[in-house]
Amino acid sequence: MAPIVSGYLGLSGTPATVADTVAYAIAISILIMAFDYFFGWVERKTIAKIHKRHGPTYAGKYGILQNLADFVKLLSKENTVPKTADKLVFLITIPLMLSISIFLIFLLPFSPTLLETNIGLGLLVVFVLLSFMPLIIFANGFGSGNKFAAISAQRSVIMLLSYELPIIFVIAAVGALANGYNIAGIVNAQSKWWFIVLMPVGFVVFFIAMLAELERTPFDIREADSELIAGWLTDVSAPYYTLALFLDYTRMFLGSLLIAIIFLGGWSGPLLPPVVWLLLKAFIVSFFIMIIRATMVRMRIDRLLRFGWIWLLPLSLLNLILTYVVFIA
Amino acid sequence: MTTRINIGPVHPSTHGVLRLVAEIDGDTVVNLEPHIGFLHRGVEKLVETRMYMQSPPYMEKLDYIAPMSYDEAYVATVEKAMGVEVKERAMWVRTVLLELQRIASHLLWLGTMANDVGQFFTVFMWCFKDRDLVLRLLQEASGARMFYVNMRIGGLIRDLPPGFEDRAREVLDYLDKQVKTYADFLERNPIFMERMKGVGVMSKEMAVDLGVTGPVLRGSGISYDVRKDNPYYVYEKLNFQTQVRSEGDCFARYRVRMLELRESIRLVRDALAKMPAGDAIGMPVKLILPNAKNRIVSVSRELPRGECMMYMVADPQKPYRLAIRSPTFINLAALRHISRGCRTADIFAILGSLDVVMGDCDR
Repeated sequence: MAPIVSGYLGLSGTPATVADTVAYAIAISILIMAFDYFFGWVERKTIAKIHKRHGPTYAGKYGILQNLADFVKLLSKENTVPKTADKLVFLITIPLMLSISIFLIFLLPFSPTLLETNIGLGLLVVFVLLSFMPLIIFANGFGSGNKFAAISAQRSVIMLLSYELPIIFVIAAVGALANGYNIAGIVNAQSKWWFIVLMPVGFVVFFIAMLAELERTPFDIREADSELIAGWLTDVSAPYYTLALFLDYTRMFLGSLLIAIIFLGGWSGPLLPPVVWLLLKAFIVSFFIMIIRATMVRMRIDRLLRFGWIWLLPLSLLNLILTYVVFIA
Repeated sequence: MTTRINIGPVHPSTHGVLRLVAEIDGDTVVNLEPHIGFLHRGVEKLVETRMYMQSPPYMEKLDYIAPMSYDEAYVATVEKAMGVEVKERAMWVRTVLLELQRIASHLLWLGTMANDVGQFFTVFMWCFKDRDLVLRLLQEASGARMFYVNMRIGGLIRDLPPGFEDRAREVLDYLDKQVKTYADFLERNPIFMERMKGVGVMSKEMAVDLGVTGPVLRGSGISYDVRKDNPYYVYEKLNFQTQVRSEGDCFARYRVRMLELRESIRLVRDALAKMPAGDAIGMPVKLILPNAKNRIVSVSRELPRGECMMYMVADPQKPYRLAIRSPTFINLAALRHISRGCRTADIFAILGSLDVVMGDCDR
């Protein structure tokens, strides 16, 4: 990497060899795939238990292979592009979003010894790229030439207005508390107290805003299966829908990792290795998101906007001020 | 500038084959036009070509959520045409079965309604599971799970099986608890309340003008229930109240149905306790029945979805003409008027609160 770029990003850690980087990339990719697959199965089973039914049981032990079967089935289907769709936009958006999500997970260090990708402004880079997602969804929604997708695209932008600012204010408070946006630095700053204890208000705001960011119930307004059929995914056919499912779980993984890193002390924990701790915390967060999905009712878009501006934004500002007054001033 | 979107007939929450053409301005609904008739089977005409007791199976397929209620309404019409008295015990058994059918229907409504406002199938699954217990009771009493065809002229095809009362009481106790759980689960959720309260308001005058009936009418503050105001069978002797809410919004309609569930549970318990012994079996099913005495008859019944009126001009051995006033058809007509000005997402909440069954609407 050119020195000026690495200097700007504040690349820390020892310069890695190409072989190391490739090995790391492969390891993380496998981890993401495994976690997505496991999440998919756990979500099906969890929601089935809440529904008082069994969930998948036939494919493999406890239905663990059900997702694989679905995956193979979906991949064997024909990929269709609607006549009214803008072919390029329609086909590029989902892979693009998936690659951005995977790239963002690459940026997160998984343990104190895996700091190759730990860049100086890590958290800011993550959120800058993450806030592109609704815009890509917007492009997809309009590109697919379907009215339901177009409505979904509009909703996507309205949602962006309601939750993006609170996230930024919470991140500002985190940066102030950790003295920088370096992710390893944020985890190290939590060695005594986790940030969830230091700023509970910020955690609540961030968690709710993340639910909206990840399109999970009660903010699955863009997909809204009982209203918009599947929102921006209405015309997406099987192979791309598989990618969209992967995208969904990868984003959930990313979101849970972020919550675990920013508020739950990241990889810190006794006995177990740091990577296991981080994954465990991320898993617990995801589990909560699943339970919320099974028990909540979808919010209306205008109510979300109101909720965002009346509650989330002032609370995030309050959190920022409190953090400054109590811990810094 | 308005956008016209076409919702249905194939859509996750149009309750079968209803097509809605919505004109929306931003997120506000300017106009909403229901297009019906996808499930029209010409039952009213079909009945004219059949002998009297060949028709009940057709009647059951009209409202496939509460088949027995329709069956009973038709058989009661035929009984009236023939001037046949229903046996004393048969009246009680019919009342019990009709109320059980109402419970099953309302449970299914609750599940789909929760789905329509964006609940991910949780209440739906719970309700289906509980509805199955009621269906099992109905199966014990009639022999079938869905299309019962257990009404006969003057009675039923069979009496309640031994031990039915105890099993029914057990199920009812369980349901009483469950209904309370569901009400808590939904009503303690502020988002659910936000989605339901003040949405799709139908004023008293509007409800009367549109001619809606059943829980939709009672949700608008008018106390009209055929079971109370024009009682049939043994409803007079039973202890129950008409549930009325005055707000006229989705939540009022929801609440009326939830309270009706409890009232129906109470009704069945009461009826089971007071039920006299005796014979409940009706006339044997033969093609040729006694000739109809009355030329023009009409029977009005409170179905789970509202008032159903069957108007029949009777020939001696088959109906000359049968006209059905189906509750869904008229309740659905209100959709257009009450969803004007609401948000796009509210269309489905309102549709869910009207509890439509397209088979009943299209006939």
